[in-house]
Amino acid sequence: MTTRAVRAAGLALLHGVALAGLGLAGAVSLLVHLAFFVPGFGLGLIFLLPLPILAGRHLTNLVRRLAGDGSGSGDGSGMPLGSPYRPRPGPPQPEADGRYPHDNRLYRRPWVPAFLRLMDWLLGDPASYRDLGWMITTPLVGTLLGGLPVALVAAGGWYAASNASRHWWAVPAGLAAAVAGLAVAPWLRTLHLRWTRWWLGPTQRQPGRLRVWYAHQLLLLLRLLSLLGLSLAALPLAALSAVALLLTYGVGIVVVLPPVIQNIRWLPELRRRLAGQWSGVTVDSPYLPRPEVPQRRPDGRYQVGNHLYQTERWAAYGLRLRWLTRDRASWRDFGWLLLDPVVGGLSLAAPLGAIGYGIFGLAMPRLWMLVGLRADGGTDWYGSVAGSDAAAIPVGLALAALGLLAAPAVLRFNGRWAALLLAPTAKSRLALRVQRLTETRADATESQAAELRRIERDLHDGAQARLVAMGINLGNVEYLLDRDPQAARALLAEARQASAKALTELRDLVRGIHPPVLAERGLADAVRALALDTTVRTEVTVELPGRPEPPIESAAYFAVSELLTNAVKHARAARITVHLGYADGRLRIVVADDGRGGADEARGSGLHGISRRLGTFDGVVDLSSPPGGPTTVILEVPCALSSPRTSIS
Amino acid sequence: MRVVLAEDLYLLRDGLSRMLTAHGFDVVAAVETGPELLAALLELRPDVAVVDVRLPPTQTDEGLQAALAARREVPGLPVLVLSQHVEQLYARELLADGTGGVGYLLKDRVFNAEQFVDAVRRVAGGGMAMDPDVIAKLLARSSRDAPVARLTSREREVLELMAEGRSNSAIGQRLFLSESAVGKHTASIFGKLDLSPSDDDNRRVLAVLAYLQRQG
Repeated sequence: MTTRAVRAAGLALLHGVALAGLGLAGAVSLLVHLAFFVPGFGLGLIFLLPLPILAGRHLTNLVRRLAGDGSGSGDGSGMPLGSPYRPRPGPPQPEADGRYPHDNRLYRRPWVPAFLRLMDWLLGDPASYRDLGWMITTPLVGTLLGGLPVALVAAGGWYAASNASRHWWAVPAGLAAAVAGLAVAPWLRTLHLRWTRWWLGPTQRQPGRLRVWYAHQLLLLLRLLSLLGLSLAALPLAALSAVALLLTYGVGIVVVLPPVIQNIRWLPELRRRLAGQWSGVTVDSPYLPRPEVPQRRPDGRYQVGNHLYQTERWAAYGLRLRWLTRDRASWRDFGWLLLDPVVGGLSLAAPLGAIGYGIFGLAMPRLWMLVGLRADGGTDWYGSVAGSDAAAIPVGLALAALGLLAAPAVLRFNGRWAALLLAPTAKSRLALRVQRLTETRADATESQAAELRRIERDLHDGAQARLVAMGINLGNVEYLLDRDPQAARALLAEARQASAKALTELRDLVRGIHPPVLAERGLADAVRALALDTTVRTEVTVELPGRPEPPIESAAYFAVSELLTNAVKHARAARITVHLGYADGRLRIVVADDGRGGADEARGSGLHGISRRLGTFDGVVDLSSPPGGPTTVILEVPCALSSPRTSIS
Repeated sequence: MRVVLAEDLYLLRDGLSRMLTAHGFDVVAAVETGPELLAALLELRPDVAVVDVRLPPTQTDEGLQAALAARREVPGLPVLVLSQHVEQLYARELLADGTGGVGYLLKDRVFNAEQFVDAVRRVAGGGMAMDPDVIAKLLARSSRDAPVARLTSREREVLELMAEGRSNSAIGQRLFLSESAVGKHTASIFGKLDLSPSDDDNRRVLAVLAYLQRQG
């Protein structure tokens, strides 16, 4: 054995000590993770989640760097491991109006979207979970691989030194163990390196089916766990509600009720959303929209229901109370808060309990007992079934499997349970519908009245005035005909011009009321005609099996017209496409351009106008226009199509 | 010259009929509806038809449809279409078959009897009469493209009048130019738009219109 080899073995030994130490550090990091994750996932305190992940990365990065040090092993694997993490997202960029977008929402301050980006970055990175896997396994595997050589050397030395006087063979045996420790050190180190790379190195591996299944089960359990946490979170809210109700109806302190009703709504709202996202049960929000304070009566008071209020402030207060307490959804929320910890909580706890007890209560303790880690079962609770130790492992595993099998059904049940009390009742659905119809009807009548006023004004100032002028002119012509034929001729030419102008004005007016080409050809050709009149290259594709009702055709036509104008004027598009289609009883129009985007329904009154106009027919406008483009607007209007017009030729 | 007239409003039908008669046309039929028009066109085979786009019984574009149907039966049957509004869509459909003898004018153009009668004669002779509004819209779309943008303003004026269907001499009269000067301008326009020149007025107009529509 050359000195070089001894030195390498010694270095490997030291390295092993360091690795063993890191293994213990991994255990500490794992405990920290658990301390933050349990409330983070279990109670929904998600702001706790990034802290341990970020802190843990310092440790794993240190391990990656160490994997590159002490490269005396000569196996060419001494390079530091590359970072497997996805690049950290930059700070959120504000839009033109100074608000910050994230997903489908705008935020006034940057820190909320910044935090959400951080969460997406950390929790969406598979490397985070592999770090976690490393932390779980390293206390055992890492410590063993790193510490075994040192332990052998140390134990050999100690055995030789302490037993040399008693047995003659103690010294050679101790030395042999120490040499064996030195000999296996480089080999174990390589093994450790491989193992570390497997967990912490950069990877392009496709997850195997088992891993996918495992991730799926894990996600399922995490969802059940989160829902359980939310069910328990309902308890304090239920207590709060009970106190508020008691104060209101028992003592008469009404003031507390409205804020309580409003401020507990976040939990039912969250559960409605989760029911849709996790359980696949769509639960709409049932709350009635907040009414507006009524107009002042002639006697100066405000009427809310049967009450009269002197000041607007008290009227608003009374209105709020009435709005919240008359809403059936408020009472159903109360009921749900009271019942969910029992119904939802127990149903969620059952599969989680079965899995937890099956594995950690029966199978694992029994396994430990088999390898002698625990001398006796202690109580029946751990590691035995009805006094029988042998049954513990199969029964425990079966219990866990049963829990896993039941988990999807329990998740679905949870969604249905939420829908049962949290979904809008037929009555509140109707109320919401009435509210919507009232709004759109008001919009429709208002815009119709405005339209009529505009037509009246245009006729009054335009064609009507010109016809009067023409009449006067013709009277003058009559008078001048014999006296001054020359002047009469000039006036006649003027009258003709005036009539031409009046016609042009009337033509424009007619176009604004109901375009002739729409009346003559229907929506498809009218949109084609619009495209031809647009100065930007515009392509129209049509898949309409028939014609919508005339009012819908008209609304759709003006909407497309407005959108084309926007695309040319504001987006400065070079190319526009328009598609007219019909599916599932809805007319669907897609207008897309390659312009600079940045359109906003809240600011562009044109888009708002379209929204209102189509709202009369229960139509919706969907706008997608990121800064820099492209802009896509989708209009959808439920309607029936008439059979296509038969050609007359 | 034998004319078939289709117009559903009595006042306008009567006025047009009188004007055409006064200018030496022979109005062989003045009809009110689309089916009547189609029958008259196919039976009487007039030298030219003056047709309102919108006709009973549907009050849609029945006049235009009847005219197009008749031209499918009798290729090149001269038709002058009148309307309260002009649409490029309709102009394209009228020009689609690539034969001449087509006119498409706003009803307002009837006010100027001389020009209107001139347009009817041109169409009857297999020529074109496109409304200035149609041409203006075509040019508005095309002018973003490089070749049309390269034209001088005088050349644009000539192009507009040419696209309306006017002859070199008529263009010269309009712009106070000699016929040979107009000829030079047209040659230059054809060069810039990369179109092969043609002595035949009618084919020339079709080439220009086809070019402008292609740009759209």
